[in-house]
Amino acid sequence: MKTNAVNLIEQEWILPGNRTCPGCALSLAYRHTLKALEGQCIVTVPASCATVLHGMYPITAVNVPCVNTPFASTGASATGLVAGLKALGKKGITVLAFAGDGGTHDIGIQSLSGAAERQNDFIYMCYDNEGYMNTGNQRSGSTPLGAVSGTTPVLGKQQYQKDMTAIMEAHGLPYVATCSASYPLDLYEKVKKARTIEGTRFIHVHTPCPPGWLFPFSDTIRIGEMAVETGLVVLYEIEDGIFRLTSASESLALKGGTLQPVREYFISQGRFKTITEEQIDELQNWVNARWKHCLHRATNL
Amino acid sequence: MPKVLMDGNSAIGEAAIRAGCQCYFGYPITPQNELIEYMATHLSRRKGCVFVQAESELAAINMVYGASVVGARAMTSSSSPGISLKQEGISYLAACELPAVIVNMSRGGPGLGSIAAAQSDYFQATRGGGHGDYRTIVLAPSSVQELADLTIRAFDLADKYKIPVIILGDGVLGQMMEPVEFKQEAPAVLPVREGSLRGAKGRPSKIIKTFTSNPAELEEINWSLFRRYGLIKKQETTFETFMIDDAKLVVVAFGIAARIAKGAIRNVRAEGLKVGLLRPITLWPFPDEAVKEVVKNVNHFLVFEMNMGQMLEDVQLSLEGKGEVSFYGRPGGVIPTPSEVSRVISRLYYQKGLK
Repeated sequence: MKTNAVNLIEQEWILPGNRTCPGCALSLAYRHTLKALEGQCIVTVPASCATVLHGMYPITAVNVPCVNTPFASTGASATGLVAGLKALGKKGITVLAFAGDGGTHDIGIQSLSGAAERQNDFIYMCYDNEGYMNTGNQRSGSTPLGAVSGTTPVLGKQQYQKDMTAIMEAHGLPYVATCSASYPLDLYEKVKKARTIEGTRFIHVHTPCPPGWLFPFSDTIRIGEMAVETGLVVLYEIEDGIFRLTSASESLALKGGTLQPVREYFISQGRFKTITEEQIDELQNWVNARWKHCLHRATNL
Repeated sequence: MPKVLMDGNSAIGEAAIRAGCQCYFGYPITPQNELIEYMATHLSRRKGCVFVQAESELAAINMVYGASVVGARAMTSSSSPGISLKQEGISYLAACELPAVIVNMSRGGPGLGSIAAAQSDYFQATRGGGHGDYRTIVLAPSSVQELADLTIRAFDLADKYKIPVIILGDGVLGQMMEPVEFKQEAPAVLPVREGSLRGAKGRPSKIIKTFTSNPAELEEINWSLFRRYGLIKKQETTFETFMIDDAKLVVVAFGIAARIAKGAIRNVRAEGLKVGLLRPITLWPFPDEAVKEVVKNVNHFLVFEMNMGQMLEDVQLSLEGKGEVSFYGRPGGVIPTPSEVSRVISRLYYQKGLK
């Protein structure tokens, strides 16, 4: 049976009162991730907004054990946790590596790739707020073309985002998925499924960031939905090489596959204040081509 | 040029541009983000200058390595955990005798520590920091103006001695705002640095290397490095003294701690205690001759640092058993107030029977 608001597990592992900004999508994504794991996990977190969410010892809103690991080493510390649990004969505990896009796409890619190649048994979740938001918004490998940040202050970023999920798929992982914090039940289902699979599992979560992307705190969910409706974010999972569209992306495809124009999404956020018409056209073409490719690949339409 | 109000990190950026810095490679970490953002805004607009945000600290320091090999004036910056990641690159720069400027806006440690100002990277900075037998010049400013002045000096020293130079600041210096004056304009053209690799047309090739399988050759390389270090020690050691002439007790402190100590000394002077300050500006080379000079007239020293006692060892080594050294340290990013330090000073002053 599909998860819905009624049958979703009631217990919480993030208690009221954490240190994230108002309207933070990360706390929503993390909350449903921990629900899917029923708290039976050890989390390893590098320097990121997630360490801010966890708070400062001894005051924390999070009710699971957490290791704070150096920035470059999330995949490595997860490998170590798995090895340690194995050596001690402990079973039934999922190791969850939980890093942002800077800690995954940029400085953390080496240790993640190493672990994935060895097929170390953990879930790696990248929550993607498309920049170094914890240090006040600098560009990352996941910042989109045209977005203004502290280190792309004038013209906005001139490069495309790195497709981290595709890179992880190329490692031949048993489970790879993309989610959005705006679709928490889809996220919940995917983490729940990933929990039952052995090997390195990679989940990418799109987490809109009001102070970094410059939109009102109340619009987080809407911005995440717009990203999916325009095709800038596609929700899918790849289980043993089999590609399926899920949730809103699946519905979009089944309704004829027409995407909303990307322009609306760019207008909705202050970070795209300097984006040019050419860049919007370029991104629209890029989105169209990728969406066509996804429709072609999807086995569930 | 009139004074402008600036935070310390931005002042370093402006001073670096005026020192002719051509390449800056950064990576976000608190509390030095204003510097990378300043360079993104200002250096990237200058003709013939390059700003790159690297994908890690490891990448940033080795971008400096590449830029320095071909003869560009290059710098990077970070804060404590990021500086740890840069150490292998710094060791390579030292081995290859390449100039570079590295800014450490240090914070509380060990580990991720805190983002508050601390001075616990003294050992790492003054003992080389990475593997192998080498030193880097370490400059310790204590005001925003001095951050700017020492940034310019750092580029000159790096080129003059073909050595990596570290500016050891802290989170307070980096983020506080003070009036600052920039005394020079950016040079229109920089002289070609001797030893840089710019093509060997019409002359024999130059070789810069960091590995040899011949221990005797490596020994000679180490000897030559240390001959230069001796020269630096002789020519570049700098320090400041404050109210030291009639002092019966001398506080030794560097950077932001020296700033706090000055306030404390003013407080206790008002109560009639004869206390002065010795502030090393170069932490390496350490001003040991200055300490030796002071101990001729003063028997009591108080080393004050925002760590558990690191420069303390250099003071003790310089004194060679003479004098009496006490220590007051606050680790972990705690910043004591001048009145806290003045209480420590006056307690010590009376305990030692100086009044």
